[in-house]
This record gives sequence, structure tokens and C-alpha cells, in this order.
Amino acid sequence: MADASNQLFDMWKKQVEEGSQAWLRMLGTPQAAPMDPQAFWRPFMDQGIAAWSRAMTQGQAPPDLMAQWKQFLDQWIAAWSKVLEQAMGTEAFAKTLGKQMEGFLNAASPVKKAAEQQVETSLAGLGLASRSQLIAVAQQIVQLEEKIEGVEDKLDAVLRRLDAVGGSR
Amino acid sequence: MKDELFTMVVPEMPGVSSETRARWQEEVNRNFLRMKHFSEMVMNPKEPEIGPTPRQEIYRKNKSRLYRYESRRMHRTPVLFVPNLGISRPYIFDLMPRGSFIEYMTQQGFDMYLLDWGVFGPEDNGLTFEDVVTKILPRMARKALESSGARELSVLGYCMGAPISASYLGSTPEFPLKNFVDMAGPIDFAHAGLFAQWLDARYFDVDKYVDTMGSIPADMVKAGFKLLKPTMDLSTNINLWWNLWNPEYVSGFNALNKWANEYQPFPGEFFRQWVKDFYQQNRLVRGELRMGGRPVSLRNIHAPVLAVGAKEDNIAPPGCVKPLITAVSSTDREYVELPGGHISLIAGRGASVHCWPKVASWLAARS
Repeated sequence: MADASNQLFDMWKKQVEEGSQAWLRMLGTPQAAPMDPQAFWRPFMDQGIAAWSRAMTQGQAPPDLMAQWKQFLDQWIAAWSKVLEQAMGTEAFAKTLGKQMEGFLNAASPVKKAAEQQVETSLAGLGLASRSQLIAVAQQIVQLEEKIEGVEDKLDAVLRRLDAVGGSR
Repeated sequence: MKDELFTMVVPEMPGVSSETRARWQEEVNRNFLRMKHFSEMVMNPKEPEIGPTPRQEIYRKNKSRLYRYESRRMHRTPVLFVPNLGISRPYIFDLMPRGSFIEYMTQQGFDMYLLDWGVFGPEDNGLTFEDVVTKILPRMARKALESSGARELSVLGYCMGAPISASYLGSTPEFPLKNFVDMAGPIDFAHAGLFAQWLDARYFDVDKYVDTMGSIPADMVKAGFKLLKPTMDLSTNINLWWNLWNPEYVSGFNALNKWANEYQPFPGEFFRQWVKDFYQQNRLVRGELRMGGRPVSLRNIHAPVLAVGAKEDNIAPPGCVKPLITAVSSTDREYVELPGGHISLIAGRGASVHCWPKVASWLAARS
């Protein structure tokens, strides 16, 4: 069984290496033909499952097979995590992400403005306070709290000075 | 319903040793327990009990709160704990009994003060990083000093709390600082990993983002962190399934899972300054930052400094934590790199073995 596990891990390492290369190629050359990311791990998973079912049907499955399978999954996830981290650490990925964000903001901005205006108009029509009015009131409360804190600080300073004067006499 | 009802006996089989049979039996039992706990989680989910350590609210300012966790006070100097603002709630530091950093520290005789920044709303979108450093933090530190009656304070910054604290301490040399601990807090943003790459000014227009969105919604914060580790949910669920037979693991998971899914928004102007001054221009470590009209210089920190990096931290990689040590003027300074990631550095079983004892013993020798 140990040999079988080693074979599985070797196979997995090979797949991960090929997978990472393919990811990096895909990110580095956006004009390339679309690739199927599943293609990298599907054969490996198929073989893993075949090995698993063979062990089960032949009745030779040791009791720690589950632990081995868990270990295998952990390593597989860790490897993919590393591959993805490498791919996401490229300038090409950051550029793509930035472009997507810009696209989202360009699309979201007019929609958000229109929706906010619509809600404001509806609430005004119903004679209710709008969101912006409530925010303005909340901001005033925050400012008021700051002013009170300022007064508290000044009072504290005066009291400390009085204490100091009293103490020196 | 008792667990015994779920047992199934593995029959004797020719050619199978009793040891193998016993181990199969154990696996079968575990599978039944997995099913039982899974059905409980789905059909009858329980709200986890969080924040078990007794505390007292000392002060409140707008959304922020200062809490005191009293101890037997074996050390003269109390600790002000400054966590991250936004992103997540601070109850991770007092998650559950025997799984709480704050509980551990109070048991070690430290009076702990936790600054809970709170959850900011749209009315706080004008709050800047500078406001946090010059208006909220100084007041909270003063209240902690007044409440404790101590003359000096140890400041412990976690994650973003470390650069916030460092900006304050670096611009306020008169502050009675006893010790400064940076736990997984980025200082040199040139080495801040994937976030630094994604937030690079060439690709990310923070002005456009803040001007459009106003604040940074919790869902956007969540998306950013999920993208940082896309396999996290998969491995979390596989680990849950694997350990689902263990009731202790399940209760810990429930508490942690509740926290992990409660993302918090950022005030817009805070995010703008955070991204520009720190991620894009790296002004803290370059000594180009100004707070409240004062220059921020890490050289103004002369007190003992401990910086703790986590080996597998992808939010604040060790490379961006360690430079604090060379940036300060302290003669008593130490950097340690401990096993774990950004969260597991401070929460979980590994933290209770590696990080908590290290921080407590380092502070105990200097408090």
C-alpha cells in the first residue's frame, strides 16, 4: 500500500507541476486559446479514484486508508493553493483584477446613483426621511459627541491645573 | 439521543486481524458520529457562546468601545490591545473558554484593555486613518491609563492595529510606553504579499473606488479575503468533515465559523488613506507619514519591542512585520517567527502553545 501511496503522490506532484505551468502560461498569454483548467487534475483524480476502488474491491484496504486519503487531499489542496498563489501574484493577474474592478465601478456608478435618487424621491413622496437625511443627522450626533469630548478635555485640564495649584499651596 | 444507539459492530472476517477489525470499528463509529453531528448542525444549529471572559466597558466614543478585562494583576503595567479596524470583529481574541488569548493573558496576571473599534456606518465615511490615530486611539489609551492607575502602558497591536499603534507611538514620543508588541502587523508594505500587489497604484484606483462606493462594503472585504486563499473554504470543510466526530472540534468550529463569516465594512476615507499611504506609498517605514501635523518616525519608539510574524501568514507575511525591529530606536528588541497563519497565530490550539506563552513571558519580564 505504501508503494501505491508513493505512486499516487508522485503522480500528483507531476500533475501539480504541469498544472502550475499551464496556469502561468494562461495568465501570461491572455490571447491564447481558452484552456480547461480541469484537464490538469481530472486524469489524476480519475486514477486516484480507480486506485481507491481497486483497494476496496480487492478487500485489501487497510484501516488507515481514510487517513491516507485525507493526507492526500490535504497535500493536493496545499499544492493547488500554492499554484494559485503563484498565479495570483503575477502582474498579469493584478492588471486583470484592476480592469475587472474598473469595469465593475463603471457599471455600478450610474446604477447606484439612479437607485439612490429613486429611493430618495420615493421616500420624499411618502413624507419620510431619506437615507441621506438620516446619515446627516447621525453625522451631526458624531460631531456633537466630539464637541462634548473637547469640553470634557478642557475641563479635565482646568481641574488638573487647579489641583496642581492647590497642591503647591 | 445517545451515541450508543448509533453503534454498529464490524463482524469478524476471515484473514482480518483483530487489530485491523478494531480500527475499522473505530472508523465506523466515527462515521456514525459524523452523521449525528452533521444532522445536529443542519437541523438544530446552536448559537456558539463567545466572549467568555468577564469585562467592563470603560469608555465609548462613537462606535468604539474600550473594555477592561481585570486580572489578579501580577504585573504593574496593563496591556492595551489594539486590533484591526474593520474586516472582522474582535471577539476572536476572546472566542471561547480555554480558547481565548485575553483569558490566557488575564490568567497570567495582565490587566487587559481591548479597543473594540466597532462597526462603522455610512455616517462615519469621513473618518480617516489620521482621525483614528489622533482622535480615537489617544483618548482610549488615556482612559486605559486613568482606569488602571498605572503610569505606563504596554501596547499590543494585532494586524492593522500594529501600524495604527506604530503611527501613534511614532508621532507621540511623550506617550508613556512601557512595551510595544506587534503581532502579525504589517510595517514595511513593500513585502506585504498579494494585497500589496493587487492594491498597487498602477492597477487599483482607490480614489475611483471610494468615490463610487462611499464605504467599503463587508461583501467586498469578504471577496478580497476569499480571493487571497481560494482553497480555504474547501480545506475548512474537508477538515470539518474529518473531525466532525469530535464534539470539541465541532464547538470550536462553530465559534470560529461564526466569526469568520462576520466581515465588517471600512469607512471610505479610512480605506483611501490606508491604501494610499501604506500599501501604495509605504510611507510609515519611509518616515514620510504625518499624523495631526506631526511627523511619524518609528525612531521615536525607544521602549522594548517584540515583533511576531507567522510563517504562513499571507495577509501580513513575515517579511513585512520584521522590519519594525530595525526601524525603532529600542535597544531591547526581538523578532520571532512562529508557526501558523494570520489567524492561527493568535487563535486556536497552536496559538495557545506557541504565541500566547511567548508574548506573555516576554511582557512579564518587562512589566
